[in-house]
Parts: sequence; C-alpha cells; structure tokens
Amino acid sequence: MRPALELRDLRKAYGPLAVLHGVNLSVPTGKLVFIIGPSGSGKSTLLRCCNLLEVPQSGAVLVDGKDITLSGINLNELRQQVGMVFQSFNLYPHMTALGNVTLALRKVQKLSKAQAEDEGLQALSRVGLTDKADTYPGQLSGGQQQRVGIARSLALKPKILLFDEPTSALDPELVGSVLQVMRELRESGMTMVVVSHEMGFARVAADHVVFMDQGQIVEQGSPQAIFDTPQHPRLREFLTSLGQR
Amino acid sequence: MDNLINVFFNPDIMSKVWPFLLQGLWMTILLSLTVVPLGLVGGLAVALAGNQGPRWLRWATVVYVDFFRAFPPLVLLILIYFGIPFLGIDMPKFIAVAMGFLLNTSSYYGEVFRAGLESVPRGQMEAARSTGLNRAQALWHVVIPQATRNVLPELISNTLEVIKLTALASVVALPELLNNARQAQALTYNPTPIVLAALMYLALLWPVVRLLSRLEHRSTVVR
Amino acid sequence: MNSAAPLSTLDRFLSSFFNPEVAARYVVPMLDGMLLTVGLGLCVIATGLVLGLALAVMRIQHVRLVNFFIVAFADIFRALPPLVVIILLFFAFPYIDLSMSAFTATWLALSLVLAAFTEEIFWAGMLAIPQGQWEAARSTGLGPWATLVHVILPQAVRMTVPPLTNRTIAITKGTALGSVVALHEVLNVSSAASSEAGNATPLVMGAVAYLILFIPFVVLGRWVETRFAWKR
Repeated sequence: MRPALELRDLRKAYGPLAVLHGVNLSVPTGKLVFIIGPSGSGKSTLLRCCNLLEVPQSGAVLVDGKDITLSGINLNELRQQVGMVFQSFNLYPHMTALGNVTLALRKVQKLSKAQAEDEGLQALSRVGLTDKADTYPGQLSGGQQQRVGIARSLALKPKILLFDEPTSALDPELVGSVLQVMRELRESGMTMVVVSHEMGFARVAADHVVFMDQGQIVEQGSPQAIFDTPQHPRLREFLTSLGQR
Repeated sequence: MDNLINVFFNPDIMSKVWPFLLQGLWMTILLSLTVVPLGLVGGLAVALAGNQGPRWLRWATVVYVDFFRAFPPLVLLILIYFGIPFLGIDMPKFIAVAMGFLLNTSSYYGEVFRAGLESVPRGQMEAARSTGLNRAQALWHVVIPQATRNVLPELISNTLEVIKLTALASVVALPELLNNARQAQALTYNPTPIVLAALMYLALLWPVVRLLSRLEHRSTVVR
Repeated sequence: MNSAAPLSTLDRFLSSFFNPEVAARYVVPMLDGMLLTVGLGLCVIATGLVLGLALAVMRIQHVRLVNFFIVAFADIFRALPPLVVIILLFFAFPYIDLSMSAFTATWLALSLVLAAFTEEIFWAGMLAIPQGQWEAARSTGLGPWATLVHVILPQAVRMTVPPLTNRTIAITKGTALGSVVALHEVLNVSSAASSEAGNATPLVMGAVAYLILFIPFVVLGRWVETRFAWKR
C-alpha cells in the first residue's frame, strides 16, 4: 500500500545556510512517526515542508502519491488534507473555541453556519472540550488551547496530522491531557508525524522513531530499537544528554 | 467683566449667527464623514501593500507615508486647490479639499495600520493558512481584526486629528464651521462667532478626547 | 494668424509649475520664510515641551483643584483645531486691547497645543511606571524630587519618546497655519508670490521647502521609534 506521506531527497537552505541535506522518509498510512533530535537539526523545517509552510529547494513531498512541490498544486486544498498543530497553539484570540474550529469549515469548505457548528462541536468532543465551545482562548488553560488547536485541524477531516512540538509550551501538568488526545487519535487510525521531546510518549505510542541531526536522518527504527539499542554515536550522545539511557 | 462678555460671548450676536454656524458645522461633519472612511480604507490598503507585498513595495509605502507625513496638510491643500486650475482641470471645491486631506490621512492611518499588522504574531497567519484559508481570507478574518483591535486607540486618536483638520478647509473658503465663523466675525466686527465656533468644536470633540484618554490609560497598564 | 506652434501640454505644465525665471525671482523671500518657519518651530518645541512636562510634574502632586484645571487644559487644547486657537488669539484678543503679532499668536497657540499633548503623553508614561519604583527609591532615603529625577523620569522618557516625536512633528508642521494670519512664513510667501506672478511655481517651491525642512524630522522620528521601541 502506498504510504500516506513520502519525502524524497528533500533539501532546504536559507540563503547560504543549508538546513536539510537530502532527507528521505516514508510515513505509512495510519502510523505515528516520531521525530527527535537536537535543536537546529532541521526537524521543524522538515515538518513544515510537509504542508508547504516552508518550500524546499529540491526534492519531492508526496502526499498520497502526489508530489505537492510541483507547481499547479492547490495549496488550500492540500492544507485541508495535511493539518498542523503548532507549538504556540496560534489560536485566534478574537474568536471563541468554536469560532476557531469552524472558520475554515465555513470559508474554505463552504459549509453553512449550522453544518459548520455541527462538525465543529464533533471535533471539539473528540478532544473533550464541547463545554468550552463558547469560551475565548484567553480564558482557556494552555492544554485546553492546544486541544482546541487539534480540534481546529481535525474538523477538516485531514488524512495526515503534523505536530510541531505540541507540548513544549505547556506546563508539565497540562502535557498529559494533550498526549491523551494524541493517543486517541492514533488509535482511531490517523496518520501522524510528531516532532517532540516527549520520549516517554514515543516509547508507548510511536510506530516508528526518526533521529535527525544536522539536517539529515541519522538513524530510524522502532521505538525499542532507537531507545534501547541506539547504534549511531550521535544518537547515543543525544539520548544520554536527555537522561534516556 | 461685562465688557468681556459683550465682546466674547455676546448673546445677541450668538443668536444671530447660530444658524449660519450650524450650517458650517454640518459641512464640517460632512467633510469628516467623507475623509475618515476613505482615509481608513486608503491607509489599510497602503499598510497591506507594505506588509504583504514584495520588498520594493514595502519601501514605496514607507516613502509614500513619510512624504505625506512631512508635508504640512495646509500646504498640500493649497497646492491642490490652487494648482489644479493651472492644469486646466475644473474641480468642485469639496472634491479638491477631500483629495488633499485624503493623501494626508491615508498616510497617517497607513502608519497606524502598519504597526497594527506587525503586532499580530506570524503564527496567526500560519495557522490560518494551514487550515486551507487563502491569503485574502486569512488577512480578512484573522489578521486584520486583531491588528485593528491592537491599535484602536491610535486609530481613534488619528480620527480626532482628521476632524480637527477640516478646519483648514476654511482657508480655501469651503463653507465649514471655521470659515463661517470668520465670515460672521468680519460682518459683526465682533469675535463672538469665533468663540461660539470654538465652543461648538469642543462640544463635538471633547467627548472623543475623553474617550481617548480612558482608552490610552487602560492600555498603558504594565503587565 | 498664428506665428508660433501651440505649447504642448507638458510645456504648459512645466512653465506653470516649474518655471525657473519665476523661481529665481522669489528665492530670497522664500529663504527668509524658511528661516522664520524654523525659528518659530524651535520656539514652539521649546516652550511646548517644557510647559507640558511642568504640567505633568504638577499633576503628580495630586492637588485636586490644580489637577482639575490641568486636565481641563489638556482636554480643551487637544480638542480644538490649532487653527481655531490661532485665530482666537489673533483676532479675538485685540478686542480687549491685547493685540498680538502674528508670530506671537501662532507661537502661543501651537505651544499650548503641544503642551497639552505633551502633558498627556508624559502622564501616561509616568502612570505606566509601577508604584514599586517609587517605594523602592523612597525606601532608600531618596526625597520625592530626587526620585522623580533619577528613577521615574528616566524610565518615563523611554516610553514617551516615540509618541512625543510624532506629536511634535505634527504640531510643528502647524507653523504653516501662521500664513492664515499673514505670518511671513513659507506658505504665506509662496501663496502671495504665486498670486503675484500668476504662476504656480512659487507654490511648488514652498512645497519643496517644507519637504527639505521636515523630511529629515520624519526620518529622525522613524529612527527614534525603532530605537526606543515601545513594548506593550
């Protein structure tokens, strides 16, 4: 079966500074791929290339077999299929939680207000926040905000969900609620690519773990392989520095 | 004291010139209602061009804004008002005045909106685009509302300035409030009309000043 | 019968707006006007800023009656169009035997307006400084005056420089308003010259003169804004 997402020889540079040196990655449908690595390794850039928030200089990004880096791609359609959850949530402060979730439904998918609210509430219930539908982001905790962020992407019924350090900006006691939602998503069969430092989560929930360093994938494998028997010296260094070994 | 009242607050004259001044006030309001919305739209357009466009456009908007902020509005008004006939174009007074003001106000509003747009975190645009909204939709529904909210005190402050600016139109004899007051003063040999006009300006604008004070003091609360 | 070909539109435009002969005739009065504008501007800035700061400092004393008048003053002179104030001073005061030259009327009016805005800006700046700063300074034995000068004002200034710069530039451009009461500043000279010559070139010269005078200020203002970036 064709992988949901495939990266082929992806290269990205900011002027003279090369950030991705030819990355190849395959994300099978329904699996959770976890990307780890030191800061500056290019993990976020890699993730952002998947929905073209960053545009690679060369290489291909195939979503469901179609190369999205080619011209002629409908960007807005693409982004409904590949959703993104941000480290700083990026909720619209001037709209309620429900408003945040339904904006794209109304304006992009052209649903009626009633239909949009219906779908929006469904998405909010998947993250356990239907009772906060009419609350503004400013009145929500960090964990709740992030879950609304997830609901906002979910409402569009994407094929793939990208998570860019989803819990890094949260207080420790709020992290659990977000990870719980992510777990449930995985169990429901969503294809997910996650950049994060939550190694404990990776151990139990990831299907595949990828270690990046200096713009390249250095080692990848099952969580057990990566965390219990790391091969590459840089990976070992990295894990030791995080107290994972 | 009596003399002071007779000179500056002459009730007789006040009642005589009141209707004439009221006409002038009406023109002032009309001019404001024309220039303010157009200026807002123009300013937003300039700010968007600078914010969203290529680098050369950003420079062009900075030049435009700085140029018209450096130019005294009265000079601009006179230039347009007296200069246009030299070009052989016949233009009604109101439109020449409005055009002159528009160039000035769109640059001031443009500067305010620029700051507003820059105050919205980049992540907002990214989040909106990531859900499939196109650039225009993201700007309209997500970025611009926040930008406007963030600079609301400055927008109101600027609007206050624009309304005060209309007094300049008296110089080219547009029959607005100050103009009519000066005519009345010349006719009655008494400054009461001007005092009355000043009071009318105060009645119109003092509430705005109060509102502005309250807004400004609230937003300078240190977090 | 026509002896010369009719002037093209461009030629007509140039000779109406950019006529070198006409320009040469009025260079000297124009320079005089520029000098006056600059002098007036500097006077306004000096008195306006000092008066505004003084009023703000007075307001700190929290004397109810005084504050009432300060706030009323600030409100009134922020609400009135500067031109109205100039005209009031120039035309109204002679009626009570207090005649005023065009320069004095313009200078006084603009100074009062600048003082009003300055007072409000300084007041807002000082309000933004946490009470704790006063308390800390006083707890180390600094008197109220010393606290103000060494602790409060330096911090307030940082916040107030950008809006103050903007406002000062805006009001100083008001020197052009002096032309309405026949002050021989740039606009007045250019309008009179244009009428006299039947040509718009002096007006253009006046416009250029203003740009020369004020664009440096605006650029300076922008630089100041970025340097003292005011974080909310």
